[in-house]
This record gives sequence, structure tokens and C-alpha cells, in this order.
Amino acid sequence: MSSTKLRAAQEEQDDDTEVDMSPMIDMVFLLLIFFIVNATLIIVEMDKKVQVPIARYSEKQNDKMGRIVVNVYSDEHAGEGRFRMADGKKVFADDEDMMDFIKKEKERWDGNGQKPRLHLRADGKVHFTYVRRVIRAAAAAGINEVIFVSLWSRNN
Amino acid sequence: MARHRRVTNLEEDKPKLSIAPLIDVCFLLLIYFLVTTTIKQKERDNSMALPSAAPSEAQPDIQPFFIKISNEGHIYANVGAAQELLDTEAQGAERTLPRLDQRLEIYAAAAKAGNNKPLVQVYVEAEAEQQVVSDVLNHLAKHDVTTVTFTDLVVQDDQHE
Repeated sequence: MSSTKLRAAQEEQDDDTEVDMSPMIDMVFLLLIFFIVNATLIIVEMDKKVQVPIARYSEKQNDKMGRIVVNVYSDEHAGEGRFRMADGKKVFADDEDMMDFIKKEKERWDGNGQKPRLHLRADGKVHFTYVRRVIRAAAAAGINEVIFVSLWSRNN
Repeated sequence: MARHRRVTNLEEDKPKLSIAPLIDVCFLLLIYFLVTTTIKQKERDNSMALPSAAPSEAQPDIQPFFIKISNEGHIYANVGAAQELLDTEAQGAERTLPRLDQRLEIYAAAAKAGNNKPLVQVYVEAEAEQQVVSDVLNHLAKHDVTTVTFTDLVVQDDQHE
């Protein structure tokens, strides 16, 4: 009699050892969402209308902090604005406007304890005169380190 | 009796989460994203310090190397009477400028021997393309020249738009 009781108890125990997967899945999704949300914060946006030049000796983008992005468009896409912000939508009205933006960003990065740098995404076909205007605006805002963005090669 | 049995059966039917369809869907999504993803090339940095933006009082100990880029994309060394045509266009997929490369190598070696930081001044004409400027900067990066002055930053030469 006691042995059947024991067997019944053992069977019951076997039933209990099943792992419940649903909380684990919940946790995995939670972690996934957490990392997705965090990761998007430090991505440097790239507008694909700007075809940056090729440079073989350029370096990997290691530190994404402190970058003040300015896009310079070629004649083909300059219709809506030659100089635009990282998202490619907000257009700088004039050089003064650009300088103000760079100054504000510089103060923001300085406040965060990061070294502000100009992340210059100029199209390969753009005339240097426009690039120079951005460099000049950055200089006026007090930034002397310029990152000329490039690609290692172009795969068409 | 029969009614009692039905009740116990209901109690035993605990709702269980079936994992198999979830895994199916996950794999399906994974395959979909694998197929539709095009690998975007990562953009790279060519970082330069532009001392003209933050002028210093101290005179550099070394004579700077002067490069001129014309509207046509020709690369020259030096100015005035000493001006010398180096390269007319970048060569190959790697966009090399062989003569500029050679000159920079000599200059960088000389600077290193004298324990100086190599200094390069670049004068770019208004209509030169950014790709050509990038080619020159690329060669500077190759020889570890990270201090560049765009000499025309002070001159208001680009009022025509």
C-alpha cells in the first residue's frame, strides 16, 4: 500500500519538473526591446541621398558620441536645401542658422563631457566651396576637429 | 458518476502553452529578415584637426607642405614659381595619387626625423569636387598627417553661389 503511495508521489513530482517557458519568453522579449531602444540612441543617421567619397585609409567609426552631423548635398538633391541635419529633412536656412545649430550641439556635448566634433557628410560630387562654408561655420562655433565621412569602397 | 468524471477531466486539462508554433514563426521571421536584408556599408572616418579654426601663437618649427587642388581636380605641390603639377586624376578603384603619395612620404619621413609634427596646407579652388579633396585627405591619413590647414578659410572667395 505504501509503495503505491510512494509511486503516486513520485509521479506527481515528475509532473512538477516541467519548465514553464512563457515567463522566459516574456523576459527575452523584454530584454530585446530594452536593447533595441537603447541601441537606436547612439546610431549616427545616414541619409542615402548623400553619396560620400571613397577613401581607403579612412578609419572605422569607433566612437559615435560627440558627433555633430551636417549633410552637404550635390546639385542633384540640393533643390530642397544644400545643407541639412542628420535626418536629411531639416534644412539650414543660412550659414548663421548652421552656426547656431553647431554651437548649440557643441554646448550639449560639452555638458555631457564628450568632445564635440563635426561629422561632415558631403557628397563626393559637391563643390568644395559648400564644404568650406560648413567648416567655416563650425570654426565660428568653436569646433576645429572635422570628420570627413567616407566609404572604403563603393559596391554598385 | 458520469457527471463526476467529466468534472475531473476538465480539471486535468490545464491550458499549456504550445512552443512549437512560436518557434515556427520565429524561424519564419528570421528567414524573412535574412533574405530581405541588404548589408549596408558602414561609413568611415577621416578625422582631421583644422588648426586654422583655432589659431595658435606659436610658430611651427617645420615648413608646411603646400598642396593645391584646382577646379579641374588637378593636384599641385607648392605655390608661385615653384608650383609643380603632381597628379591629374586618381587612379584605380583605390583612387591613388602616386606622385602626391611619393612626395608626402618623403615629407612625412623628414618631419619624423626632425621630431616634428607634419603640417600640410591645402588650397582648394571653389569648384573642385569633394571626392578629389577626399582623395588628398586620404593620402594625408595614409602618412599619419592629421593636422591640415585649408589656407583659404580666411579668404572670402566663395560668395558666388
